[in-house]
Amino acid sequence: MIELLAPAGDLERLKIALLYGADAVYIGGKDYSLRANTKNFTIEEIKLACEFAHKLNKKIYVTVNIVFHDQNLIGLEDYLKKLKELNVDAVIVSDIVGVKLALQNDLEVILSTQASTLNYKAIKFWQNMGVKRFVLAREATREDIIKIKKETNASLECFIHGAMCTAVSGKCVLSNYCTKRDSNRGGCAQICRWVFKTEDNPDFTLMSKDLNMVEYLEDMINIGVQSFKIEGRMRSVYYIATVIMCYRKIIDSILNKTITENEKEYFEKVLDRVANRDTTPQFFHKFPTENESYFADRTEVSNQDFLGIVLDYDKEKGLIELEQRNYFKVGDVVEFIGPNFDPFTYTISTILDENMTSIEVARHPKMKVFLPFSGAISPYSMMRIKLFDKKDVL
Amino acid sequence: MYGKMKNKELLVTINDLKDISELKRLGINNFVYPLQNFCVGIPNTFLISDIKEKGFIFINRVLDNNSILELEKILKNIPANIMGIIFDDLGVLELVKNLDIIKILYLNHFNTNIESIKIYMEYVDSVVVSSDITKNELEYIINKMPNKLTVMVLGYLQAMYSRRHLISNYQNYHKVKAKNPMKIVNDNNEFLVYENEFGTVLYHLPLYNGLELLDLPCQYYLIMNTFLSVKELANILKGKSDLSTDTGFLYQETIYKLKGDSDD
Repeated sequence: MIELLAPAGDLERLKIALLYGADAVYIGGKDYSLRANTKNFTIEEIKLACEFAHKLNKKIYVTVNIVFHDQNLIGLEDYLKKLKELNVDAVIVSDIVGVKLALQNDLEVILSTQASTLNYKAIKFWQNMGVKRFVLAREATREDIIKIKKETNASLECFIHGAMCTAVSGKCVLSNYCTKRDSNRGGCAQICRWVFKTEDNPDFTLMSKDLNMVEYLEDMINIGVQSFKIEGRMRSVYYIATVIMCYRKIIDSILNKTITENEKEYFEKVLDRVANRDTTPQFFHKFPTENESYFADRTEVSNQDFLGIVLDYDKEKGLIELEQRNYFKVGDVVEFIGPNFDPFTYTISTILDENMTSIEVARHPKMKVFLPFSGAISPYSMMRIKLFDKKDVL
Repeated sequence: MYGKMKNKELLVTINDLKDISELKRLGINNFVYPLQNFCVGIPNTFLISDIKEKGFIFINRVLDNNSILELEKILKNIPANIMGIIFDDLGVLELVKNLDIIKILYLNHFNTNIESIKIYMEYVDSVVVSSDITKNELEYIINKMPNKLTVMVLGYLQAMYSRRHLISNYQNYHKVKAKNPMKIVNDNNEFLVYENEFGTVLYHLPLYNGLELLDLPCQYYLIMNTFLSVKELANILKGKSDLSTDTGFLYQETIYKLKGDSDD
């Protein structure tokens, strides 16, 4: 089965990811996870996450992917036993002690990309331990993937979208030196986005553009990749919803053999719009050059397309209850997106505040407002700036 | 420092075959040869056929399928003077498991706890304990497995290894000629960048001096001589060097969780 695997930094993002089309979500607990500075999940939240996902016949993977120091091993086995009790579907691990303990406790193990696995001999080493699925190093080329699949028949998971490490994952401790935060224990301070002075030349930068594999997704499916992973446990709900929805539709079209170049182009445009950096395919098809990197003139765009999230819909009153995320006003032409419908255009004729008083502008983040609507729309649908009509692209 | 070195198994990387006689005069007899086509961050590497003395070969690349197959061919005909192999890719374990040579796993930035090391020690003769941990942590680990493990005691520490050609990309983009290696600086953070066809390494500056670890009961003590001359090495070992050095993370604990990160 082809799997679309989404990131989630909290329960809201997790629900969004699953509702918008992810087959599985990877999350971090409060400990042992490489995104130590995101909100992450308590044990109770992991339980809720599993219940929510399993009801939808979907999966939850928990990252236990730090490189452990001895003091971090305290409590690790109890934590893994707890994850087993909670019925998580797999744990994502990079350090061999975590792999061994997880396997001993009957957990499925996914070898993290932090283990920098790029050849089939390394895969065989881990297979002999009992690992069945592998997140290949982001540096894996098409030929690498084909050879690994042929020699091992392992279940392969590859990143297809999101931020890239400049370094081979797991092989960078720049944060340790520059900020004393341990990058291999979740403290990465993204030093590869800093600007460095040189002795006699322009400033030196290391930063990679982001990954986008739309163009090669069909090829990846054909050569045997099974799980398609989106990066970004710290990304917004809107980003997750948009990216997952795009890739869900692309994958389904590929599997249905209905994908067209125009359709890919449309989704590329949507993905570009939601990204805050340029995206490229990176290592899969060719060796990255200066065109896959950022230099001193890079720009990061803060996306303000996301206007609000639907909390509820009162069919009798014909009112959408919406939580504001960015400024909008009466007269704006916007768009609704959601898990179970194609995006549709909506012109804001009226905005009601919580006292049902008509207002002209929704300017406060997280304020609740009501919008008149006749039809059907479900919670977790989103309102965004109208991007472009699909028909204009297709 | 010289006295401390006696009866210690120092492993010293070779920059130039001509350095060997001078290194022997310093009392160093275990040489490590970075293997050509299998290393990053090291300007001078050697073919197996170049190696005439007894010694170890050194491999620090993350290897793709083609490279691992190329290495397999080399290892099938490994000459008798190659005593051992130091490597940073678990695929190599599969290649060397039946070879009667000393196997040392140097999984850079990993092996920061005793339990992981114990597992890897089921497959190899020694493991290089990470240089990213404190001296107290190193002592704890090494004392749990006395005379078995390896520590790096001197050399430039890798802060980052990228598969990308970061200097070439920089040159191409800015249309300038850059040094290789080149020094880069952000406030007080200095790194030495070196690129070869297999990628780019950033080394932390200044030079790491962990020679005090010679007091710990290890099997081997690794000196990465890259970018050091024999004279500079000799002066450091004799305690007469004026090269700037630091002790890396020996007395500087890194932060696992920031204050304010919730534990609830």
